[in-house]
Amino acid sequence: MDFLSIDVGTILFTLINTLLIFLAFKFLLFKRVDAMLEQRQAELAATYAAADDAQNAANADKEQYAKLMQDAKEETARIISRAEKQAQQKGDAIVEDARREALAVREKADRDIAREMSQAKGELQGEISAIAMELAEKIMEKEISKEDHSRLIDEFLEEMGDKA
Amino acid sequence: MHISDFFKGTTEINVTGPKIIASFEIGGVTINFTESILLSWIIIGAVALLLHWLTKDLKTKGISKRQVLAEMAVQTVYNLVDDTMGKGNRRFAPYIGALFTFSILGSLISLLGLRSVTADFSVVLTWALITFIWVHYTKIRTNGFFGYLKGYASPVFVMLPMNVLSEVSLPVSMSIRHFGNIASGMIISGLVYFALTSITKSIGVAFMTIGIPAVLSLYFDLFSSFMQAFIFIMLTMVNVSNAAETE
Repeated sequence: MDFLSIDVGTILFTLINTLLIFLAFKFLLFKRVDAMLEQRQAELAATYAAADDAQNAANADKEQYAKLMQDAKEETARIISRAEKQAQQKGDAIVEDARREALAVREKADRDIAREMSQAKGELQGEISAIAMELAEKIMEKEISKEDHSRLIDEFLEEMGDKA
Repeated sequence: MHISDFFKGTTEINVTGPKIIASFEIGGVTINFTESILLSWIIIGAVALLLHWLTKDLKTKGISKRQVLAEMAVQTVYNLVDDTMGKGNRRFAPYIGALFTFSILGSLISLLGLRSVTADFSVVLTWALITFIWVHYTKIRTNGFFGYLKGYASPVFVMLPMNVLSEVSLPVSMSIRHFGNIASGMIISGLVYFALTSITKSIGVAFMTIGIPAVLSLYFDLFSSFMQAFIFIMLTMVNVSNAAETE
């Protein structure tokens, strides 16, 4: 073939060849790499979205924990104050009981004293009247009956007692 | 070829076109199956295998060195197309990448001692015609058919022959430039081999042909092949993107 020639066959074949190499580039290189790049882009976007979600979740958790902490603090303060109040009440009650008991003991003591005093008074009365009767018997001897005498002395003692 | 022939070096220069391997007739038209087509098929096969190997298991992370190469290749072509044609023209990137690769490998195949595919005028003319048709299709699509026709008579009707000439000159200049550079490089390389052989003719062993042609090959094969491929795709992109602008 001549050095500078235009050959129809070569042109036709070259057209086909150029189409072939174009198709090879399009389907074996560009389409594949483009698909991969697109997928990479999607994965990147997904990764960013996941990171954002994780951050949001972490922030929500943080807020929740802060709220829980705050609640716990409040609860603690409430429990302490309630315990203090209860302790105060209990203490007050104990003191009150003690006072009441002491009062009861004193009242009982007072009553015992009063009873024993009246008992002693009665005994003394009996004894004094017996002594007086003996004295009177010895002094007057049979002038008055024993009963009359005794009655007189009782009356006298009662008057004395009332005055006392 | 005998071993002794190798030591004799290059003793004659034949400036011919590609060899015809087979020839057949379809409807009275002779279709030649030439060396260029066979080499094109080898290149296409090699490129397809290479691309498949580069992209056979793409991952989104933890990528292999092969994938880095594949992504780099795609990104480079995308950047080039973006820079030259503007954004939104990435659909043309596969053709630009394919054309560049076909052109540069078609030229560089001479390094294997084979005939450059791009030293066949019919091959580069085909690519220039593709660009030409693409440019005019884009013009018609941008301006409408009548707007396209009116473009030839602008700014005044007298300019019509000039405009037609300038349109026709595009594929001619593109194809001749590419063909001329590669083919002349091929001829010069042949001449250099011939000259170096001549110097050592009396000795009988063409030792001068070892090494020296390699230095020249740096320009005529590597640099020139790259430049012509690059110029060709740049002209294609610039002309198509110009055609997309409304007049």
